[in-house]
Amino acid sequence: MIAEIDVRAVLSRSMCEFHSDLVTRATGRAVRSGIEAHLQEHPDVTVVVLDFSEVRVLDCSCADEVVAQLLMRTAGGRDRAVYFVVRGLAEAHADQIDDVLRRHGLALVGEERGGGTRLLGFVTDLMRAVWEQVVRAGSARPEDLAAELAWPVDEMHRALAQLAERRLVIPAADRHYLPLTAA
Amino acid sequence: MTAVVEVPASFDDRSFEAFAAALAAQDGTGRVLVDAHATEWASPFGLVGLLCAGRALAQRGGGKPLLTVPADADVARYWAHTGFFEQAEPLFEIHGAVPKRQPAETTVLLEVTPVAVAGDVHRVVDRIQTRSAAILDTELGLDAKATIGFGMALSEACQNIVEHAGTGGWVAVHAYTWRRRLGRRVVVIAVGDAGVGFRHTLEATQARRYGDRWSDATALEAALIHGISKYRDPGRGQGLRGIRMWAERWKAKLSIRSGTGRIVRVPDWDEDVPLADGLPPFPGAQLQLVVPGTVREER
Repeated sequence: MIAEIDVRAVLSRSMCEFHSDLVTRATGRAVRSGIEAHLQEHPDVTVVVLDFSEVRVLDCSCADEVVAQLLMRTAGGRDRAVYFVVRGLAEAHADQIDDVLRRHGLALVGEERGGGTRLLGFVTDLMRAVWEQVVRAGSARPEDLAAELAWPVDEMHRALAQLAERRLVIPAADRHYLPLTAA
Repeated sequence: MTAVVEVPASFDDRSFEAFAAALAAQDGTGRVLVDAHATEWASPFGLVGLLCAGRALAQRGGGKPLLTVPADADVARYWAHTGFFEQAEPLFEIHGAVPKRQPAETTVLLEVTPVAVAGDVHRVVDRIQTRSAAILDTELGLDAKATIGFGMALSEACQNIVEHAGTGGWVAVHAYTWRRRLGRRVVVIAVGDAGVGFRHTLEATQARRYGDRWSDATALEAALIHGISKYRDPGRGQGLRGIRMWAERWKAKLSIRSGTGRIVRVPDWDEDVPLADGLPPFPGAQLQLVVPGTVREER
């Protein structure tokens, strides 16, 4: 099940007043707690789309608390794998999130307001190339991708397994991998 | 006996050192008069610096410090416009006629505003984004992306006070023309406090690593250049780094003074000393960000 979460709405609820700016670490913690509470209430959710469309300013501290800490705290979940996508990012937001994720060695899929999708944070060039190919194909098997990119199949298996482990693609039936954008 | 500390005629980050030296020369036993009667101009950094001095003097004893209002009526009126006197009133015994505050001029993008808790940071960012985004765009040519980054930089600068100073501080944002130094419009952000300063904040985790080199200047270097925070979490210490990266991108000048040190990210349009040590001691930390206008044309 997919849950779309309007981050600005969570912000307003957390602060008990109307705000459009995701600033300060304390605010970030409050927003993250709100998102975590939502996930606890909905245990069937496996894909979470964090919508930043209505957010005006996002500072580094808040990006760290809302996005990076959220990824780290849910990464070890044994009961279920939760996939995160951030959507509606202004270019400045994408830059902030990209920077904080790199510091932690994390990555996630980001959709900018113009519609472009890219990986934010730290990934190897190989992983990025494979991810882009999966997005283009919509669904792909390691053998097909290896043939398209002219890479060894075992290397492609490893790259896709790493992407899946980092929850940047979804392993599906028949050894297919799905991009999160198609989820 | 009352000692006199003169405020320079043109009071900004450059002339601040003379003011800090005069203040440091006071032995702390008597009352201090901060004399601004001959002051003809003050930048946001100067105004915030005066408030930091007022708080530091009040904290060290010797009675509430005195402050004379600039004799020039236009200067006094401008200081009133900036909201300076409202913040100075609890810190100083003010001598001279304080003009009534009129609606702020458009050059004052943000009045001298106290910052102590996270809610203050929200209000500051909201005010800049709501009221001044159009000015940043039309007068300075900063586009939407730069303006969002401006809010981020402002937020992170203010959060340093909330998280590290151990006391409240102030922020002010003005826009004006630097005819001689740059020949164009600039926006100046000044954020300052009279708190514990960078060296004290990082002392427990960094002093041993730096050994004999440990000082206010190396503490600033650790924080701004290496993104080191007092916390071990790699997610911390990103605020100042974020400001520095934004400054690099938009060719802004970033300077931070703390204790006896000062660090500067010097843009190509300016000449300054990147790292200074052994300056006259001044409490807390004072940050200045100078953002040149017409950035849009340069990209």
